[in-house]
Amino acid sequence: MTTEVTIARDDAAVAAGRRVAPASPAASRRAHYPLISVGAVLLLLCIWALVTNLFHISPMVMPTPQALYGHFVAMLLGGYAGQPLWAHILASLGRSMTGLLCGIVLAVPIGLCMGYSRAVNAALMPIFGFIRPIPPIAFIPLVILWFGIGEFSKILLIFAASFNFTVLASAAGMRAVPEQLVRAGINLGLTRRQLFISVMLPAALPQIFTGIKTSTAVSWAIVVAAELIAAQAGLGFIIEDAGTFFRTPEVLIGVVIIGIVGLSFELVITLAERRLLHWQAKG
Amino acid sequence: MGTIVVDGVSKIFGESRAGPEIRALDRVSLDIDDREIVCVVGPSGCGKTTLLNVIAGFETPTTGEVRIDGNLVAGAGPDRIVVFQSPSLFPWMTVRENVSFGPRKRGVPKRRALTDAAHYIEAVGLTRFADRYPYELSGGMRQRVQLARALVNQPEVLLMDEPFASLDFQTRLAMQELLLQLWHEIHPKIFFITHDVEEAVFLADRVYVISVAPGRIKQVIEVPFAKPRTIDLVTVPDFVAIKDRVLRLIREEFRASDRQALAGDGG
Repeated sequence: MTTEVTIARDDAAVAAGRRVAPASPAASRRAHYPLISVGAVLLLLCIWALVTNLFHISPMVMPTPQALYGHFVAMLLGGYAGQPLWAHILASLGRSMTGLLCGIVLAVPIGLCMGYSRAVNAALMPIFGFIRPIPPIAFIPLVILWFGIGEFSKILLIFAASFNFTVLASAAGMRAVPEQLVRAGINLGLTRRQLFISVMLPAALPQIFTGIKTSTAVSWAIVVAAELIAAQAGLGFIIEDAGTFFRTPEVLIGVVIIGIVGLSFELVITLAERRLLHWQAKG
Repeated sequence: MGTIVVDGVSKIFGESRAGPEIRALDRVSLDIDDREIVCVVGPSGCGKTTLLNVIAGFETPTTGEVRIDGNLVAGAGPDRIVVFQSPSLFPWMTVRENVSFGPRKRGVPKRRALTDAAHYIEAVGLTRFADRYPYELSGGMRQRVQLARALVNQPEVLLMDEPFASLDFQTRLAMQELLLQLWHEIHPKIFFITHDVEEAVFLADRVYVISVAPGRIKQVIEVPFAKPRTIDLVTVPDFVAIKDRVLRLIREEFRASDRQALAGDGG
């Protein structure tokens, strides 16, 4: 009787809490925030248009929006430096994705082993821990010395940076697996292997994901840096080459495309995270 | 189903290091017979949880042993499932996945494991929530899932480590009655640790009062009321009398541990 009543109320509250949408004033105010964001961006564009059109700013310093749009259409149709625009984007994407994926595929298992075994950690931590705070672009001269200025050097640089971030995050994730979950697994009769794969790995996943997120952002930053130095294609090549010839509009277009691609990366990862790790940080 | 025998178990921590060793348990002996609920009460730091960990196989006793049906316990196993106080459900699994996880990993065929899981989810009244994730459940519901996840393995004994301590009063009462109801249907042996004297006397066939530093069995108190019990029992004079006895014993322990702490500070 008492049991039934209390438990029934408990269940009803939980069941209800999931469906009833909050209709508070705070919620309706929250609905306005996207509008505010759009407004802020529009305002910035208006200021840009007004200033460049009214004060006759040199296009080499800052082109007007309409002029920039003209350059963009021309680039879309005619490409840049003999190659279509999409080929430049693909060149950068290809380099960063190759380096990134290789880095992640190698880093996750090694990181997990570091988190699992103190001996492995003792062996590898000093190396990776020392490299981590060094900005990856600091290795560009060395990589060029050792491997030349070809594709391999660029991808190697991206690989190394993604690897380092992901390996440390995976190790930290493994170490942070709650003792209670491990005990529950042992208690249920799991073998060491099952425990590793079915309990510790999923429990470490949120931190691994954080590492992958950072690596993705870093890999995109590095591909542009690497292309600044020596490349015949790529978004970094466009902004470097256009800058050399004072072609400010092309530089700006390159910068904007880099930003849009970077944002898309972030969006895709955040969506994947929400699907895969919906259970995380909700108690 | 065999008897669980804890035989002269002592546990000393830190004996290998330079620091002073801690005697957590001192020659503790107790039995849990078929269909019995045994509660252990004592002030915090008296080694209750250490005792549970030794029975579970998470800790090895320094001396003494734990036997089930005459067989020595070595290591943890699904015949002794722990229900933890803090959330230990796998947060990335639904209720159904959590409950069927142990049997499936031990090789029980999927269909059978799911049928069993459904049965115990029903037993704890969560059928409607079988496909929800732990974060979508209240604290009391999560503890019910833990109960189902334990019972589905048909353990020799349920080891419960203050499982209801972090729940609110109403929910705690409901959980205690649910546990007795489950006991009535399935008759598991239960080893239950608590610092709540009323909870102990309400649930137990036998209450062990443990003394503090080192953890020793101070007294054993039989609780003769027939099961199933309902919460109305807590106002019956005989119940109150037993509760008072246990409380007095525990209060003595508190005073003793205070004196020890003071002496420790002085020296």
